[in-house]
Amino acid sequence: MMNAPDDIAISVKDLTVGYGDTVILQNVNFQVRHGEVFVILGASGSGKSTLLKAMIGLYPPLSGEVWIDGDNLWAAQGKERLALLRRFGVMYQSGALFGSLTVLENVRLPLDEFSDLPDPLKEVAALARLRLVGLDAAADKMPAELSGGMQKRAAIARAMALDPRILFLDEPSAGLDPITSAGIDLLITSLHHFGFTFVIVSHELPSIYSIADRVVMLGSDAQGIIAEGKPAELRDGAANPWVRRFFNRQPDPGHSLEPAGNL
Amino acid sequence: MTIPTQKELEADVEVRPDGRACVVLRGRLNEQTVPGCWSLLEKELKETKIQTLQVDVSGLSFCNAAGLTLLLYLNMARMTPRATVSVLGLKADLEIIFRELILEDKAFHPQLAIKSDSFVGKIGRKVKQLNRDFQEEMVFLGAIIASLPLSIFHPKRSRWTETHCVVELAGANAVPIVSLMSLLLGFIIAFESARRLAEFGAQLYVANTIMVVMVRDMGPLMTAILLAGRSGSSFAAEIGTMKVNEELNALKTFGLDPIPFLVVPRILAGVFVTPLLTFYSILMGVIGGVIVMLGLGFTLPLILHQLASSVHLNDLGTGIAKSAVFGVIVSAVGCWHGLRTQQGPSAVGLSTTRAVVTSLLLIIVADAFFSAISFLLK
Repeated sequence: MMNAPDDIAISVKDLTVGYGDTVILQNVNFQVRHGEVFVILGASGSGKSTLLKAMIGLYPPLSGEVWIDGDNLWAAQGKERLALLRRFGVMYQSGALFGSLTVLENVRLPLDEFSDLPDPLKEVAALARLRLVGLDAAADKMPAELSGGMQKRAAIARAMALDPRILFLDEPSAGLDPITSAGIDLLITSLHHFGFTFVIVSHELPSIYSIADRVVMLGSDAQGIIAEGKPAELRDGAANPWVRRFFNRQPDPGHSLEPAGNL
Repeated sequence: MTIPTQKELEADVEVRPDGRACVVLRGRLNEQTVPGCWSLLEKELKETKIQTLQVDVSGLSFCNAAGLTLLLYLNMARMTPRATVSVLGLKADLEIIFRELILEDKAFHPQLAIKSDSFVGKIGRKVKQLNRDFQEEMVFLGAIIASLPLSIFHPKRSRWTETHCVVELAGANAVPIVSLMSLLLGFIIAFESARRLAEFGAQLYVANTIMVVMVRDMGPLMTAILLAGRSGSSFAAEIGTMKVNEELNALKTFGLDPIPFLVVPRILAGVFVTPLLTFYSILMGVIGGVIVMLGLGFTLPLILHQLASSVHLNDLGTGIAKSAVFGVIVSAVGCWHGLRTQQGPSAVGLSTTRAVVTSLLLIIVADAFFSAISFLLK
């Protein structure tokens, strides 16, 4: 095991991901610091979710390494790997709450499986997570009874169940109205103050401007990172014109639906 | 009293006779030390009548979420009912989180509205539900009957491609399993009846037994049971998944009624396929019986003569007519339960189970009805 510098939470080294013979991202390198809100963004189909799956141990990379708190995720086996997986929590795009369990039971499930805490404390712990995301009043509701935004918040509470220091969020604002989306941003910011490190996959520009400390942008043609930095800096001064267009919501000049002239 | 709960944590518990208690925690309060500390505190505090509890945590060098959970639990007076609890000496950053998380006790056991459910009330609700179900079933049946002429007499408006597809899936693809099942059924009936009839020296009548049993009952019944398990369940699951994925709503917003669009093609396919499969099943069952009889030493012309003399065309007609009704039952019940699928991950599974169970029940009831009618008419 190699020890990373103390302030590095995640280190992605020469990571190549793809499906079968199709390479989606090649030799990707970046680092996420502790306490940072780090956003991975890019156009649809640029490999954001695939990269996230490789970072959380769901999808094996074709080559390269993912280091979490100084330990190589894909080299770890057995109990070592289990311990490593417990260092982070994941919120999936759809929430992925278990529909047959109540919200409280969803949050309690990882505690029941992995924690040695006495049962009454597990309930307090689960309820405390729900309190943090503002859902303690909905503890006994079923996921189907919650709105989209509430489901995402419950999923964040479940991701926090085992007290990880790193949270991966896949599209936390996708499909939500601006007010609910802003509520999720506020939640991320307040949890960030409690010391969580966030890795977020998103392409919601307003969210990115309000929460991100640093972003990496993936490009489909480049099969890798085409820009890295603070969002406002990339908007105003990125060398790549596609990146500037992305941050300024400008259409691709090659694709115009405007009338060509008099018919 | 100072008790080192673990190497990393020390807990001082002092309970005074006047009802005041003081807990002092020093060291690291984490998931490793919390379970031991919790057991100790429960032992020391739970049985005594404590009016005020002071928890001093200024000596903690480390406290994570598990530790905070224990402090929250103490603060809620769950361990010391009716006591006033104060947690003192938290570090400033933890204090902010702790105050944020303080839970009200009522959040623990939300008062669920429990309806009083008397015996009469239960029966009343059940009858009401049955009545509602019956009404819905009648509306469904009516909608099918209303849609059928449109589909049959306006072929252009029917979805024949879908019907062909279902015929292939429910019919052609079921041929191997129907063959195996019917052949073995023929074997079983022949072997069992041969043993009994041998006692009377009437083994030749095994042919009659097989023919009557297969043509009049077992052929249609077993084919229908197989279709209920194989195709009725798949109709329910398919339409149920479409409902969960809001595909049915998408159809409705296009102005397409799911009944002519999804249900009618399946019912037409069921009515067409079940008699064919039943006829094939009867044939395979009889072949199974013939094989056994050949093994018993009877000649083929004798067996065929015996088979031909044992049933009339009417019997075959009744068997095939029954199977058409069973086909309607299997398809309609499968589609009905598919359309009634609720939300949630177990909903599709529940619909599938209900579809199979209801189909089987209705098939047996219909068979009994047919048997009674044919007995009365003779």
